[in-house]
Amino acid sequence: MKDAADEDDGIPVEFYGLRRGTVTALTIICALFALFTLIPIIWLIINSTKTQANIFETFGFWFARPFALFHTFANLFTDVDGDGIFAQWFANTVIYSVVSGVGATILAALAGYGFARFRFRGSRFLFAMIIAGLLVPITLVAVPLFLVYAKVHLINSMAGMILPSMVYPVGVYLMRTYVELSIPEEITDAARVDGASEFRIFFRIVLPLMVPGLMTVLLLSIAATWNNYILPLIIFSNNSLFPGTVGIGLWLQHVGGSGDTNLYPLLVLSGLVMIIPMIALFAVLQRYWRGGMLLGSVAN
Amino acid sequence: MTSATSTAARPRHSAYTRRRGRAGLAFVTPFMIIYTLFMIVPVLFAVYDSLYTTRLIGGTSFSGFANYATVLGSGPFWGGVVRVIIFGAIQIPVMLAIAFFFSSVFDLGLTKFGRVFRAIYFIPFAVPIVVSSLMWGFLFDPGYGPFNHVMDALGFSNFNWLSPALVLPAIIIIAVWEWTGYNSIILYTALKSVPRDVVEAAILDDTPLWRIVLRIKLPMVRPAIIMLIFINAIGATQLFIEPTILNNYQAGVITNTWTPVMDIYSTSIQSGEYQLGAAMAVVLAVIVVAISVASLAFRRNQRELA
Repeated sequence: MKDAADEDDGIPVEFYGLRRGTVTALTIICALFALFTLIPIIWLIINSTKTQANIFETFGFWFARPFALFHTFANLFTDVDGDGIFAQWFANTVIYSVVSGVGATILAALAGYGFARFRFRGSRFLFAMIIAGLLVPITLVAVPLFLVYAKVHLINSMAGMILPSMVYPVGVYLMRTYVELSIPEEITDAARVDGASEFRIFFRIVLPLMVPGLMTVLLLSIAATWNNYILPLIIFSNNSLFPGTVGIGLWLQHVGGSGDTNLYPLLVLSGLVMIIPMIALFAVLQRYWRGGMLLGSVAN
Repeated sequence: MTSATSTAARPRHSAYTRRRGRAGLAFVTPFMIIYTLFMIVPVLFAVYDSLYTTRLIGGTSFSGFANYATVLGSGPFWGGVVRVIIFGAIQIPVMLAIAFFFSSVFDLGLTKFGRVFRAIYFIPFAVPIVVSSLMWGFLFDPGYGPFNHVMDALGFSNFNWLSPALVLPAIIIIAVWEWTGYNSIILYTALKSVPRDVVEAAILDDTPLWRIVLRIKLPMVRPAIIMLIFINAIGATQLFIEPTILNNYQAGVITNTWTPVMDIYSTSIQSGEYQLGAAMAVVLAVIVVAISVASLAFRRNQRELA
């Protein structure tokens, strides 16, 4: 799949016949929106270095002494108010997202290839069912999942979080499109003539060609689980199984209730800790990232 | 599942085709198993469960559509539905207008550092909504939030972004912050696929740039915009995390039936009225499906017109 977003073959600006200063004005507008985008994150970074008193009393967009970042960071590893340890919640988030992200990507790659290159009884029906699933938000499945989990004892189990997170219909759709558009049928046909088995063809020939698509689906599915709030909120009552999002929500509830806890610096820093790995992951995988695939995910 | 393919006698197909068919089925089976167990079964079970009622005395019994009658007659539930409709009716056009503006600027190369700006705008997509709401909650906090101080400085005394009148606009600002970058990347990709010669011809005709954008480019990316409207509309019906988190900064403004999903959560999980909650989830799912069907019909219609 060629990614239009990475190309720059635009028409030179001089040909538009614009008034002088237009580009400068638009650059300033773009910079203002960038500022709007960055303001909350800048606030978070600055205030993650402050004590609770300074978070309340000093100017929000500048630093203040004492520098409390390391002290607060150490507290992420202790059970400050009896709700649980953030470091553990964070580790849970990593486990849930990585395991289900890898699982979702493998399942989507297999199914996407199956739907792209094979016709079998019911293939159209099954694919239609997956497309229907694209439209059902996880929020709506969370309560029904809870009802089923209560019957089969999956409440408070890691599997109960990871397995539904592997269901990523967008991934199947994206992988099917990717195979159709960027893996020439001649290659797989040639291997078939040589007598290679279907699974050998998939793992040896197709999979390596799918890497950019796989990385995009991996990134999107990891982010989906990393950010998930309602499913873990509903299926976990045991605090030690919470992911970071639910832990932060619980802390906020206690802060809102009593007001005089010492949790504010922890809340600020834990928010920052939840953001950094995701931004880093997007940055690192950027060369594989196919932003163009997002269009495929909505405008099919 | 394999019996379906092998028992069907289909002489037209060669053994090779059948073998390939079985391989295709084998590729999709792992996904279909997980999908069935964790998506289809729960949804079907919720529908089944919504037809029963549990009473303190007498246990669980079949009650037909009694739960649905309760949901459809529930003022708070419909109040929540109306609230998310208002939310979507403001947030979606505002966000898409901003996203289209910036994606056009990037597409035409009308700004310096376009690549940097695109990367920055996309950052909120990587931020968990819980954390976005946490950050904005701090910024909007009536006690120490810098945004209220800004409004104070501008002459609005005792300004409170989290007051009953302003909490919905505050949530709209948060949602615009969260989703504009994502939507503008999608529009940018769509705009990039508009054939270059169409634009070149218009430039040679001395068409002003704003006309090229609004009269040539905009109509050509209409399918993408329409899809985004529906996707965002479905997202709006799911509004849950932002109000739930903001509720901790200003108690009493946001009730636990403020949005339909909050209502579903509090009814089923907090109050333990599972069957009633399941009926609410089904009603909301029907609304979502209606939006989706409308989008498919709309798209088919568009294609026929084209």
